[in-house]
Amino acid sequence: MNGESSNDREMRELWQSQKTEGVRMSVEQIRLSAGKFQRRIEWRNAREYAAALVVVAFFGFQFIRTGDALTRLGFGLIIAGVCYVIWQLHARGSGRPLPEDMGLASSIEFQRHELKRQRDLLRSVWNWYLGPVIPGLAVLIAAFARTNPGHLKHFELILTTYVLVIAGAFVGIAKLNERAARRLQRRIDELDDLSSQG
Amino acid sequence: MAETERNPDQLYDDIVAQYGPALERLAYAYEADPEIRRDLLQEIHIALWRSFAGFDGRCSQRTWVYRVAHNVAASHVGRHARDRKRTLVGLDNLANLPDPEGQQSADRRRALNRLMEVIQQLEPLDRQVMLAYLEGMDAAETAEITGLSARNVATKIHRIKAVLARRFQEGGRNER
Repeated sequence: MNGESSNDREMRELWQSQKTEGVRMSVEQIRLSAGKFQRRIEWRNAREYAAALVVVAFFGFQFIRTGDALTRLGFGLIIAGVCYVIWQLHARGSGRPLPEDMGLASSIEFQRHELKRQRDLLRSVWNWYLGPVIPGLAVLIAAFARTNPGHLKHFELILTTYVLVIAGAFVGIAKLNERAARRLQRRIDELDDLSSQG
Repeated sequence: MAETERNPDQLYDDIVAQYGPALERLAYAYEADPEIRRDLLQEIHIALWRSFAGFDGRCSQRTWVYRVAHNVAASHVGRHARDRKRTLVGLDNLANLPDPEGQQSADRRRALNRLMEVIQQLEPLDRQVMLAYLEGMDAAETAEITGLSARNVATKIHRIKAVLARRFQEGGRNER
């Protein structure tokens, strides 16, 4: 590099002369490692599916056990909602490997693309995470209200509290996601500013 | 034979021979924990090997290698930032830098640790500019890798030099 001072040279020499372990992987080792890496992703996905299966099994058991048609519809809708969420989690790529064409993108482009993907995931949380289980929950609450199990005292109060707690949890999750999405947007804006500076 | 026409396996072998040590230094700059660093380096190697099928010669081989390596490493920082309150810095871990032959003097090691401490505190983009500077790349090539303008890179390098000068002066005073 032109205009290099002795300080620059010393600094570079210090950096470049540090001892390295001389890691060299043969193509065969790389193939093996890539296979292991892929299996690790598949194993992680399998664990997510297993967790979903437990939830589905629990609601499935309730689905079979209940004699009330409306309650059964509620559990059925919850199962469908959970399955949709799991499919979306997989499709939207929480555990996907890095893209193969990374060398085509500069660091700013790559980071911006990744941040936008994460931001969109957070922004659309009602569509793919919270929304799909709402119909099932609503039907279950309606079924609960209709049958009033055990003929509880202060039933309206219990029901209202139940609805408010669920609604509060959903709104809380959505707000947290919105806040995280805004934080990502600020970083995207910073990257846009940097790439537009001539 | 043009690089784009070569077998990806052959290309990978050449790249490792040429850039292996630089890729290790890059991994040091992104990850202080030796175990996780080994995984990161392996991930970079795998990403490079996979990427060569798409190498079309639109940029130089060196730019391609550094883009892939930095993008993998930046993703690594993003993933692990969620597990940590901040990027690992810690001189304790830096003391684990390999020195198998014990040839590096204490002064030199201290200077290297101080340099590494500065690097590991930087945001990924600034870290990339600093690493490119330390690896001897010019502003144009650094701009091609990072996506910043050459002028912006030059400004950042100017700031990096000022930070390093200040840190090393302070460090020198403290050690006296």
